[in-house]
Amino acid sequence: MVERKIKTVYDVICPFCGTLCDDLEVDVDNTTEKVVEVRNACQIGTAKYFSSNPSEHRYEKPMIRKDGELQETTWDEAIDKAADILVKSKRPLLYGFSSTECEAQGKGVELAETLGGILDNTASVCHGPTLLAEQDVGVPSSTLGEYKNRADTVVFWGCNPVHAHPRHLGRYSEYVRGYFKKDGRNDRFVIVVDPRNTHTAQIADLFVQVNPNEDYELMNAIRATLRGVEIEEEEVSGVPVEKIKQLVDILKKARYGVIFFGMGLTQTLAHHRNIDTAICLIRELNDHTKFLITPMRGHYNVTGANQVFSWNTGYAYSIDFSRGYPRYNPGEFSSVDLLMRDEIDSSLIVASDPASNFPADSVKTLFKYPLIAIEPHETPTSVFADIVLPPQMAGIECVGTAYRMDSVPLRLRKVKDAPGDCLSDLEILERLLEKVKEKIGE
Amino acid sequence: MAEIKLKLKKTHKFPLEADVISTDVFAGKSNDEIKALELYLGNEVVQLGEFFDVTGKSGDANELKIIIDGDVSNVKRIGEKMTAGEIEINSDIGMHVGNQMKGGKIIVHGDADDWAGAMLKGGELIIEGNAGHYTGSAYRGFWKGMEDGIIRVKGTIGNESMLWARNSKKANKWPILYCGAAGSFLGIHNHGGTIIVEGDVDRCAGADQAWGTIVIKGSVSRKLPSYKKVGEVKEVELPNGEKIKGKFIEYSGDHSVKKETNGRLYIAA
Ligand code: SF4
Repeated sequence: MVERKIKTVYDVICPFCGTLCDDLEVDVDNTTEKVVEVRNACQIGTAKYFSSNPSEHRYEKPMIRKDGELQETTWDEAIDKAADILVKSKRPLLYGFSSTECEAQGKGVELAETLGGILDNTASVCHGPTLLAEQDVGVPSSTLGEYKNRADTVVFWGCNPVHAHPRHLGRYSEYVRGYFKKDGRNDRFVIVVDPRNTHTAQIADLFVQVNPNEDYELMNAIRATLRGVEIEEEEVSGVPVEKIKQLVDILKKARYGVIFFGMGLTQTLAHHRNIDTAICLIRELNDHTKFLITPMRGHYNVTGANQVFSWNTGYAYSIDFSRGYPRYNPGEFSSVDLLMRDEIDSSLIVASDPASNFPADSVKTLFKYPLIAIEPHETPTSVFADIVLPPQMAGIECVGTAYRMDSVPLRLRKVKDAPGDCLSDLEILERLLEKVKEKIGE
Repeated sequence: MAEIKLKLKKTHKFPLEADVISTDVFAGKSNDEIKALELYLGNEVVQLGEFFDVTGKSGDANELKIIIDGDVSNVKRIGEKMTAGEIEINSDIGMHVGNQMKGGKIIVHGDADDWAGAMLKGGELIIEGNAGHYTGSAYRGFWKGMEDGIIRVKGTIGNESMLWARNSKKANKWPILYCGAAGSFLGIHNHGGTIIVEGDVDRCAGADQAWGTIVIKGSVSRKLPSYKKVGEVKEVELPNGEKIKGKFIEYSGDHSVKKETNGRLYIAA
C-alpha cells in the first residue's frame, strides 16, 4: 500500500486578521511538515500559512547577541539571560500580544505584574481610541452572524476591507446570503465614507468623500441633521449639506443598520472622539431604527488581548504595574508615549513588530535598551533584539483561543509541527515567569 | 502660616510619583517623618528624603504652605486630593498636579504637564505658564470631571481640556477654567462647566456640550456645524455673576446632543 504523503486539516481558523475565518482547509506534507496548499483563505491568510515553513526568515533556535551578532544558544541560557534583563529593570515594557493566543496573553499579564512593569498591546496604536470612546459613551454592538442575517444598510467608515479584511465582505457584510437576506448583495445598501476612493468604495452603492481628518465635523453635522436641526453651512468636511441630508434619510430608513469602522477613524486627528461621536450617532439612530457598530480589528487576536487584559486587570491596554496594582492611562502608560519620553529601561516584545509601525523616535528609544523578542520571523524589531525566543505559531503549530473582531472566542487548531526547537508562546512565557520568580526569590 | 520647603537635590530618569507631597499628608509631621514618606520611581519605592531637602516646620493643613524648588518637571501627582493650605512650585511641574484637589491653592511658576487639576473638586489651581492636555478633565471612563473650583492658566492649554465638567445648581458648584488659549475639543461633553479663553482655540470647542458656557475672546479654527447662531451680545454674564464685556457672537449648542439647548458658545465678533 502506498502511504499518503499529504494530510488535510479541515475547519481551520485563520490566525491573521480579526475576521478569523473558520473554514480553511490546509494540506500539509507528512514527511516534511510543510504547508503545501491552503484553500478558502484570502491571499494574506494563505501567505501566513506558507510563512510558517522553514526559511531563512524563520527562527528555529533561541538566539542571543554576542560580539554584536545574534548567535544560536540553548533555551536555558536564553531564558536565564532574558529573566536577568527583566529582573534588573525598573521600568520594563511588555508589548505586543495581539498575534498570539489568549492563554499566552494571560501569562504575559502575570509576568508584567510580577515584574512591576508596563503591559500594553497593539490596540495602543490601532483601536485603543475605540476602547477609550467605548468607556466614555458605551457601545451598542452585535456579532457578525447577526449582521450577515439581518443588516440591510452597511456603512464602512474609514476602513478598506477589500484589502485589510478580504473575506469580511463575502462572509458577513456585503455579498453573503443571510437568513433574512436571501438575495445577498442585492438585499444590502452599502455606503462607504472615506477620503480616498478605495476599492471598497468603488463597489459601494453610495460613496461619501470626506476631507482627510475632518470626519468628526461630518458626523457632528449628521447627528444635528438627524435631530432636525438645519445646518447653517453649505458643505461640511467637503460634503454638501444636501448629500448629508440624503445620507441621514438612508440611515433612518434602514431596518437594520451597522457601521464598520477602521483606522481611518481611530488614527486620524480627533482619534477616539471620532468613535465617541460615531457611537453617539448610533445611539440617536436607534430612536428611529435598529443600528449597531463594530470596529474592524486588525491583528487576529487583538480583541482577545483586550479581553484577557481586562478580565485580569480591569483594563484593556496601557497598564502600569509599577505600584503593585494595575493602573490605566493611555497617554501616560501607552508604549509610544513612554518611548517618546524615554521612560523604559528594557522591553519584551511578544508577537508584534513595533519597529515597523511605531514613530521613528520611539523606535530609537526602544533600541537603546535591552530588547527581548518572542518572534517566529526575522522582523525589523527582532534583528535589533538582544535575545530572540522562537515560538510556535499559534493556530498553525499549536492550539489556543482567539477572539474575533466581534468578541466571539474561537478555538485555534494545530495543522503541523513547528520547525527546530520552537516552543509555544505560552511555554516560553511560563518558563520566563518561573525564572523571574526564582531570581526575585518569590 | 507654617512653611515647609522642599528642594529637589537629585536628577532622576523616570518620573517620581509624589502624591504624598500635599498639605494634608505633611500636616502635623516632623521633618524626619516627612523625609521618610514614600515616593515611587519606576517599580522602586524610595524615600522623599533621598530626593528632597526638607526644611522649615509643618503645622495644621489649613495653615500650611509647601514651597518647592528645583526642577520638578518630571515629578507627578503633587497636591493630589489636597483639601486645604497652599503649595507653591517654583518650576515646571510634571503630570497630574492638583488632581482631585478639594480645597486650598496651588501656584505653579512655570508650565504644567498633562492632567493638571484633573477632576478638580474645589480650591484653586494657578499655572503661570502653559498647561498640557486634559487640563481639568475627567480621567478615562469617568462621566464626571471637574465638579467645582477654579483653574487659571496664563498660557495655552492642550487638547480635551475640561472634559466632562459637571456643575450642580443644587449644591452651588460651578467649575470654572480660565486660560490664555486652548487646543482642540475644549470642554467636550460639557455638563455645566464655564470656560473663558483670552485668545484662540483649535477645532471643535464645546463638542457634545449638553449645557454650560464657553467664552472665546479670540477665534476658533473650526466652529462645529452643529452650533447655531443666536445673535450678537455686548456682554456675557457667567453663572458666578461675573460679567465679561466685549462684542461676541452667541451660538447655541451642541445641537448634535439636543434640538433645544441652554449650552452657549460665545466667540469674539
Ligand atoms: S479575511 Fe482575514 S481571517 Fe479570513 S482568510 Fe483572510 S486574513 Fe484570514
